[in-house]
Amino acid sequence: MPTDFDAWRTRLQRRAFLRNSAYGIGSLALAGLLDPTLQRRAGASEPEAGDPGGHWNGVIRPTHFPIKAKRVIHLCMAGGPSQFESLDHKPRLAALDGQPFPESFTRGQQLAQLQNKALIARGPFCGFQRHGESGQMISDLFPHIATIADKIAIVRSMTTEQINHDPAHAFMNSGSILKGRPSMGSWLLYGLGAETDDLPGFVVLTSAGATGLQPVSARQWSAGFLPSKFQGIQFQSKGDAVHYISSPPGVDPIAQQASIAEVNRLNGMLADDRLDSEIQTRIAQYELAFRMQTSVPELTDFSSEPKSVLDMYGVATPGDGSFASNCLMARRLAERGVRMIQLYHRAWDHHGGIERGMTLAARDVDQPCAALVKDLERRGMLDETLIVWGGEFGRTPMGQGTGRDHHILGFSIWLAGGGIKGGVTHGATDELGYRAVEDVVPVHDLHATILALCGIDGNRFTVKFQGLDVRLTGFEPANVVRGLLA
Amino acid sequence: MRNVLMSGFAAVCLTFAPLAVADDAKVEFNRDVRPILSEHCYACHGPDKGHRKAGLRLDRRDSAVKHGAVFPGDPDASELVMRILSDDAEEMMPPPEAHKELADADKQVLQDWIAQGAEYQLHWAYAPPVRPAAPEVEDQTWVRNPIDAFLLSNLESKGVAPSPEASRRRLIRRLSLDLLGLPPTPEEVRAFEEDADPKAYEKLVDRLLKSPHYGERMAVAWLDLARFTDSVGYHGDQGQRVFPYRDYVIDAFNSDKPFDVFAVEQLAGDLLPDPTPDQLVATCFNRLNMMTREGGAQPGEYLAKYAADRARTVGLTFLGSTFGCAECHDHKYDPISQRDFYTLSAFFADVKQWGVYHDYDYTPNPELKGWSNDHPFPPEIEVQSRYLVERRDDLVRKLAGVLERSPDMGALRNWVPPTAEFLKAHESGWAALKPVAAAGVEELPDDGLVVTDAAKSRAKPKGPEPRFRFQAAAPGWVARIRVELVPDARHGGKVARDGAETAGVNLTATVTGEDKPLGFFLADADLKSPRYFNGDEIPGVLAGWRTSKDHADETQTAVWCLDQPIQLEEGRTLTVEVKSAQAGRVRVSFSPIGIGRDGDPIGDVDPDDRAAVLAAARQGTRVETERARACFARSAAADAESWRAVKELAKEILDCRDGRAFCTIVRAAEPMETRVLPRGDWTDRSGEVVEPEVPRFLPHASVATGRRLTRLDLARWIVADENPLTARVFVNRLWKQLFGSGISAVVEDVGVQGEWPVHPELLDWLAVEFRESGWDVKHVVRLMVESSAYRQDSRGRPELNDLDPNNRWVAFQSPRRLEAEFVRDNALAVAGLLNPDVGGPSAFPYQPAGYYSNLQFPNRDYIASAGALQYRRGVYSHWQRTFPHPMLANFDAPAREECTPARNVANTPQQALTLLNDPSFVEAARTLAGRILAEGAADDGDRIDRIYRLVLGRPVAEAERASLLDYLAASRRTFQADPAAAEKLLSVGQAPAGGDAETAAWAMTCRVVLNLHESITRY
Repeated sequence: MPTDFDAWRTRLQRRAFLRNSAYGIGSLALAGLLDPTLQRRAGASEPEAGDPGGHWNGVIRPTHFPIKAKRVIHLCMAGGPSQFESLDHKPRLAALDGQPFPESFTRGQQLAQLQNKALIARGPFCGFQRHGESGQMISDLFPHIATIADKIAIVRSMTTEQINHDPAHAFMNSGSILKGRPSMGSWLLYGLGAETDDLPGFVVLTSAGATGLQPVSARQWSAGFLPSKFQGIQFQSKGDAVHYISSPPGVDPIAQQASIAEVNRLNGMLADDRLDSEIQTRIAQYELAFRMQTSVPELTDFSSEPKSVLDMYGVATPGDGSFASNCLMARRLAERGVRMIQLYHRAWDHHGGIERGMTLAARDVDQPCAALVKDLERRGMLDETLIVWGGEFGRTPMGQGTGRDHHILGFSIWLAGGGIKGGVTHGATDELGYRAVEDVVPVHDLHATILALCGIDGNRFTVKFQGLDVRLTGFEPANVVRGLLA
Repeated sequence: MRNVLMSGFAAVCLTFAPLAVADDAKVEFNRDVRPILSEHCYACHGPDKGHRKAGLRLDRRDSAVKHGAVFPGDPDASELVMRILSDDAEEMMPPPEAHKELADADKQVLQDWIAQGAEYQLHWAYAPPVRPAAPEVEDQTWVRNPIDAFLLSNLESKGVAPSPEASRRRLIRRLSLDLLGLPPTPEEVRAFEEDADPKAYEKLVDRLLKSPHYGERMAVAWLDLARFTDSVGYHGDQGQRVFPYRDYVIDAFNSDKPFDVFAVEQLAGDLLPDPTPDQLVATCFNRLNMMTREGGAQPGEYLAKYAADRARTVGLTFLGSTFGCAECHDHKYDPISQRDFYTLSAFFADVKQWGVYHDYDYTPNPELKGWSNDHPFPPEIEVQSRYLVERRDDLVRKLAGVLERSPDMGALRNWVPPTAEFLKAHESGWAALKPVAAAGVEELPDDGLVVTDAAKSRAKPKGPEPRFRFQAAAPGWVARIRVELVPDARHGGKVARDGAETAGVNLTATVTGEDKPLGFFLADADLKSPRYFNGDEIPGVLAGWRTSKDHADETQTAVWCLDQPIQLEEGRTLTVEVKSAQAGRVRVSFSPIGIGRDGDPIGDVDPDDRAAVLAAARQGTRVETERARACFARSAAADAESWRAVKELAKEILDCRDGRAFCTIVRAAEPMETRVLPRGDWTDRSGEVVEPEVPRFLPHASVATGRRLTRLDLARWIVADENPLTARVFVNRLWKQLFGSGISAVVEDVGVQGEWPVHPELLDWLAVEFRESGWDVKHVVRLMVESSAYRQDSRGRPELNDLDPNNRWVAFQSPRRLEAEFVRDNALAVAGLLNPDVGGPSAFPYQPAGYYSNLQFPNRDYIASAGALQYRRGVYSHWQRTFPHPMLANFDAPAREECTPARNVANTPQQALTLLNDPSFVEAARTLAGRILAEGAADDGDRIDRIYRLVLGRPVAEAERASLLDYLAASRRTFQADPAAAEKLLSVGQAPAGGDAETAAWAMTCRVVLNLHESITRY
């Protein structure tokens, strides 16, 4: 499969070969080892998608549009939070509570666990108030997010095509339910490259609430058919944050450094014999690996965070795997140049017990989400960081026992930061919240908007796979949601 | 910037530039024109009628000419030329918004083509392959078989000489890694280097092709195509029982099953006359699509997903064609209509399946009533597994050997007399415990208890269970406790009472004076309802016994084996309480005799064992005494070590399930209706109902007419002589496996958007040779590896970088990084850890803790395999679709959610971190170090040489040796100063820890060598 990436690698290797032949491989490899500045210098003058140190600057150069967001933080509310208890205020639904849901709304539509059941309207169990100067309606379950009402844009008219968790996540992440398609973060890394080599450019963290848990799969951050260099790296809450990032027991950093130097010295000798440019790449990867071994522990060491910051996020124990801790980690990742950060909070699948479940889930995320926005703003990073909050779908206005079923015809999300207009509510559902009817935003349009804020025209951003020009934004042209842009 | 992209583009073009043929001026449609039209024009002017603009097709000459786009012979009169040369945004083609700008060279090609008459050609892959004559070449001595003639002819035309033959030691490592995925031993290398036989190379190839590891190596690529995994993939990603299919694939390659038979068995083995178990297992291929049992999933939607997956998989696997592109609309480039997609998927409409493998009230599946997230994914077949049979036999042999470890005759003398007394009185080896009557539960003459009044029988008024209490006070040994549920007329002649279908039974046993109840290490029953966890049956009944519904009117027996057999002393009582809410009549016995010689926990004492114990009690023969000793070892915890071994072996024997294993397979059912789904939307029922048909655009004269076609018809057409694709697609992939890239580089797509093959005649020759050899895979492999081309050295040739940057001319052998599985196999093999067993269930290599924490339904822990199972080959690694093993994933193994014809070959920091820090590789390094030190080489230099010979199959070079000696010295200093660090390093993994600072320094040295690029690369 020829891609620009392959072409880059071929050229990179050949250039590295010539470079090393000219200066003598062994000496250069050793000098370059563990000295990133030398790598950077070597790469600095290379106006190309990738430089010889293995740094990848992306295929979209220059970008199609001005860059508003240098990075994306996607707060994935996995399971599908109810819009009726968060962002979509529906007084008429409240009035209909307990009554049969009008069939005129639901006839012929897909249902999940409400298949073959009597449909009864379920009013919201909590109140809504206006917040901020913009007067955005936000439910009482989210008092902290209410304080950033003027900074966020609420979309009440999202729709998706997939009604079960697994494919709906896939669709939200990759724009396709076909397996092997790259996720949004992989597309961004491929298109724009990374700002850091010392950390993965696309990082995923997961946390879990008390109820409403659903599994998520590593395929949600897979690079699909793109090279694995672009895959999301999941930070683990147990053991090593990144798989195999710790040196073996009994091997200290100095010994590890000496081992890597020795590997590269011997690899350099092999390169002289075999004239195989892949060896140069291997040498560069060992250098990168060691830098990651140094930078990941620094990243995960929260000791430099003052108590006031921990309190702001509501972090009880840094690194405890909570959503709050992950939000703080997201800021640290953003500071270090990570392109895409995804935080999954598995807590929102409330088929039953929604009152308790959603209250707890909201408590998990409310404060840290607001803290993240404020913290980024305080550091002057909010303008260049796009934050997206939302589930893979929403929930039915009909009740399912003590909960709500999956719903795809209308649900709500919010966005903030890089290039987003704060204090607006975009789109609307019908009076009972069954169907998005005004300024409908399909998932592909959300993708097109995210890409546009990152400087990319989604309709022009294609990779050939099995003969097809594949886009994140799908086969048909997708539209940027202008109403959300600052 | 622009230049950069252009130079990138140029590199791509260069890379994939077809070989020029003799007459460069003559434009050839397939080679020169079609790629341009396909890339730039077909999306709007191609096969897809739904998106066709202006009714114009440029993939068909009649349409192009009729619309005036092409005027053969006159470019200036052709609208196509006017449009591609235009600068007017309204007029120009491709339109600017398509971002498909034509290069000037492409524009020239199109004009030249029209000037030369605008001849079209059938797409190369759709034309029947015809065996071309091997070309004449100047250097006849280089030509070992026609492969060489085709390649050399091209090289000579370019004035490029082939590379010299690689050294013998490089050749044997190359062949071993290519054909077995395993490195040669230093002894094999030396033998080959010293073999003076002119046929030494061919002998080596023969030996490797006969190795059972050949099948394991070949299976890896096929399992990627078949999307073989241990888990179903969607949502809870539960386990599925499929390993016999993997064994089928390995066996097929090892026995050189003709590829046409292989194909037919997998697609339609169940439709063959009197199918064998193997042929049924083969059909698992069609069941390896992802499956769901998510609550709320719509069965119709998932049935559509499963059907689409099968069409994609068959298209890619056998036809190298991207049928998936035609699920929602006609294919944009290839002549595959949307209807073709659904007529292909209709072949599989008879596959018995469920959209949602569960019985939810909102999506009822009466056939799966009572199923949970822990049940398997039917239909399944139970088959004999050769691996499990052999493993069981091997474990039974080991069990017999446990004797040798407990020679304490004193303990034996203590055990024999009371046991002999017991066996004299109880020939079966069982003695009944005395029943204790209670309210509503009466004693019976056979020492049983029967419920006579259920209400009164409860321990408490609302208590759930009657009390079945039994006691024994006789002194002697107790190793096993047996519970029999007996049918009784008072309970309708059933073992369960009050109309229950089955009875659930638990048991507690206590001894007076002991606080804790007795523990059990094993329990099993002769009849039981299976209990499942995560898609598989839980062996034994230790977690609880439920009787079998199908044998409700027969006595059913379960036996619990004591974790620590006891010797009941005078005055102490054994009390056994059987807890069951449904049992009607119960009898309990105990035995001083443990598991049988074959590990059986249930049966009576073996008569020979009984005789031996009786004989030993009166000074029997040596043989009898030995036999009594063996029985003793299995019955009483003679010493801690041997007893631990007995228990482990017994559990492992139980896990072998008597050599039987389940496999998900196809059972044919009444075909479901197949409709064309407009835009792929499963809720849209407006599309045409279709029946199975082979794709109309391919030759299909051999296909029956006048009746509904079956999977067998499809399979036979796929391997019919008239099918132009199957043989080409397969040999092309083989070529990639042995030469680094395909003859047509895009091995997953030989359609229009694929690549015009770099050596079309060679590809056709190989395809015809393959078919005419009787689809003999080993024959084609042998041809390829015995060619001079294959044997060339792999040293790069910088002078060819510009001419042939990806070595498509094969002017040298392309280095190839090992596939993920073989990266691990190689390290284990050189360390001496590798388990060479072939076949069997999946194994669980070490994996970072907590990796499955996001998996649910059910929640599950990953438990690394113990003992030799830890070191099984990578092809047997447990494959979890939602969370692939990080080591395998880091080295580009696919998740196998989809048919995967080609793996990426990345080179990433994650790979470096894996080789450096993954415990599997650290353990291999320290084990290798122990091996090196134990071999007693003369000095450090020799030891380093030995490491190189083991790992890389070659002697160490002087500079390498000097460098590593320095490194070794530094490592020694480190560990001598910090012996605790050495101890930690030498404890990684489950292999016996041990060694000192010296061992640790060598472990570090071995680790360096295992990390070398050369270690994971076949040169």
